[in-house]
Amino acid sequence: MAGRVKILLSKLGLDVHNRGIITVAKALRDAGMEVIYLGNSLPEEIIKSAIQEDVDVIGVSSLGGAHLTLGSKLIEGAKREGIKDRVMFTIGGVFSSTDAEKLQQIGFDEVFEPGATREEIVSSILEFISSKAGR
Amino acid sequence: MPEEKSTTKEILQAKLADQERIPLYNSKALEKLREEFDQWKNTVVGKQDRENWYATPHTIIGSEIPREMLYTPLNNPGFDCMQDLGNSGQEPFTRGIHANMYRGREFTMRQLTGFGGPEDTNKRMKFMLEHGATGLNPLFDLPTIQMYDSDDPISEGQVGMSGVAIDSVEDMDLLFKDIPLDEVTVSLVTHYPSNTAILFPMYLALAERRGIPWDKLRGSVQNDITLEEVVRSGPEYIPPQDCFRIQCDNIEFIRQNVPQWNFVTYNGYNLREFGTSGITEMAVAVANAIGSIEDMIKRGHDVDWVAERVAFFWSPASDFFEEVARIRAVRRLWYRIMKYRFNAKSTRSMWMRCHVQTSGVSLMRQEPLNNIIRAAYHALASVFGGVQSLHVDSYDEAYSVPTEEAALLSLRTQQIIQAETGVTEVVDPLGGSFYVEALTNDIEGRILDEVDEIERMGGYVAAIEKGWLHRKIADHFYREQSMIERGDIKLVGYNIYKAPGGVPPIEVFQYPEGVEERQKARLAGLRKRRDNEKVGSALAELGEACKRKKNILPYSVECARVGCSEGEIFKVFKKAYGLWKPPMLW
Repeated sequence: MAGRVKILLSKLGLDVHNRGIITVAKALRDAGMEVIYLGNSLPEEIIKSAIQEDVDVIGVSSLGGAHLTLGSKLIEGAKREGIKDRVMFTIGGVFSSTDAEKLQQIGFDEVFEPGATREEIVSSILEFISSKAGR
Repeated sequence: MPEEKSTTKEILQAKLADQERIPLYNSKALEKLREEFDQWKNTVVGKQDRENWYATPHTIIGSEIPREMLYTPLNNPGFDCMQDLGNSGQEPFTRGIHANMYRGREFTMRQLTGFGGPEDTNKRMKFMLEHGATGLNPLFDLPTIQMYDSDDPISEGQVGMSGVAIDSVEDMDLLFKDIPLDEVTVSLVTHYPSNTAILFPMYLALAERRGIPWDKLRGSVQNDITLEEVVRSGPEYIPPQDCFRIQCDNIEFIRQNVPQWNFVTYNGYNLREFGTSGITEMAVAVANAIGSIEDMIKRGHDVDWVAERVAFFWSPASDFFEEVARIRAVRRLWYRIMKYRFNAKSTRSMWMRCHVQTSGVSLMRQEPLNNIIRAAYHALASVFGGVQSLHVDSYDEAYSVPTEEAALLSLRTQQIIQAETGVTEVVDPLGGSFYVEALTNDIEGRILDEVDEIERMGGYVAAIEKGWLHRKIADHFYREQSMIERGDIKLVGYNIYKAPGGVPPIEVFQYPEGVEERQKARLAGLRKRRDNEKVGSALAELGEACKRKKNILPYSVECARVGCSEGEIFKVFKKAYGLWKPPMLW
């Protein structure tokens, strides 16, 4: 795989909890990826930044309950801007398994439930990217 | 440090060195015990145990303090019963702030409630009261916490989730419909100094509308700079100096005007949950409290006038005896600080009163019913520690806000401890345990060492500005994640004893529909009905007060009275103080 994987991370909306996303950011950087962290952002800003930075992956974090409302807006925005197929979409946070399935149906490529390890997150992102490149 | 004044630790060491101590243990007896103990250790104790005499419990947000295999009087040879323990309700208050503790007054069962619109949370609060809760604890949604209106574009898709949406005094009215404010005790979970200065005035304006004098109101607010500047992620922050000033404005105004209200609940909980040890949690809260009291003195107030209503908020987690010991440790430490550093005269000033919330981050998603047991142990440790008020986290913590059933179970956890176990019939039942007293001493020393570190870098606000606390937390939680993943921290059902087939899914809370639309409609209606001239001038005067560094609360109360929305008031703060960029966490 040529070049470093570039990933944009963001808190979805006004969610205050950033322990998880910071842990993930460090883990991804330690794994050799280029990480851009936006802090708290709304879907439109996330898409805009992702296009500007030409990222491979978008990762969002939501523990505040807005994963479906804002998560679906993010995917819709991505489709509208034509980046949905080019960019990998992942999400982590606090939500039920039912909602985790819904997030996959909406279009998230990987959904990480509480308890996901850094290894799982890093390897599933790298696997997804390389399998896409192989196509 | 700018001036050559002594730190709290130095003052305490000097004052305590002066005290006459009468050791409880007879020196001859101790000698004999020493002989016997060494003999026992070399003959009865196996080699393996001798070599691994210290073991460290590894728990989420634990303090990693090594423990000996067995504790004896030798761990505390200079133990002076009256100096170190006293009796309950007596200096140094190690055993409890009241002589009779739970025989006289049960711990308040104060479960958090908050979701949807004010009418939704009103219903759940009534449900909890009907089932025996003795305190209310409404928690706000993220837009409200972060100080944006429900109709602000930044709030879209998030209104009424993970807390209740409150935009104005009219929403406060709906939240407390049919709830007599002069008869209940309400912990308004206003985390930040800024949102305390916005939301508490709405509560006060509501009391006025109902003809309830402010001196009848009982309850608390959080009002902690730690929450606004350190442990939250948010789009906009005001500078720490201004945030701290608002924290002190809140303390001053509430103390002056709402005499039965607890104007601050030093954190504590959210800091530790963010990712730090129980030691740092307490050191930060204590340093913050010291800084605030110093500020009140600078403003010309008497120490006792402020300190009588200071309160704390802790996060009891899984290392059972650490939790018991550290509540006792900080209670004794706080007494010593108030007596020897601040020369408090009133007994009340020396009490470390606290509310606790059992640790959420210690609960797991996998096999969620296990969390009922975990939280029960956290709660029991708190009761052994002698806390005044409890919230027990619910088993669906890793899924969503609690269902009614889960919330009820949390309440029952408290009630079963209180009514069925008999532990509340005896004050400080673990007092005198060789282990607990040794650990209490150890932890008190560690907390004071960290307070010293904070004071030496210029005080708590400086510690925030310099990024010291941010970096410390980020290091801690990253290291903790490694420990969890390596299995050093064992979590049943997650990394040990995993159920091969998984477990059946639990019922998860569903938010009510249409909350955002309803809130937007309410705001639109309010903005039309209110006297917008009065709104404009109230906001303008608040802005002036901010710039002139006057106590902003009277102006904020006026804003609440005339129907200003939360977002409108926060805009005034931002304009007056400018924005601050917090230190990077990575």
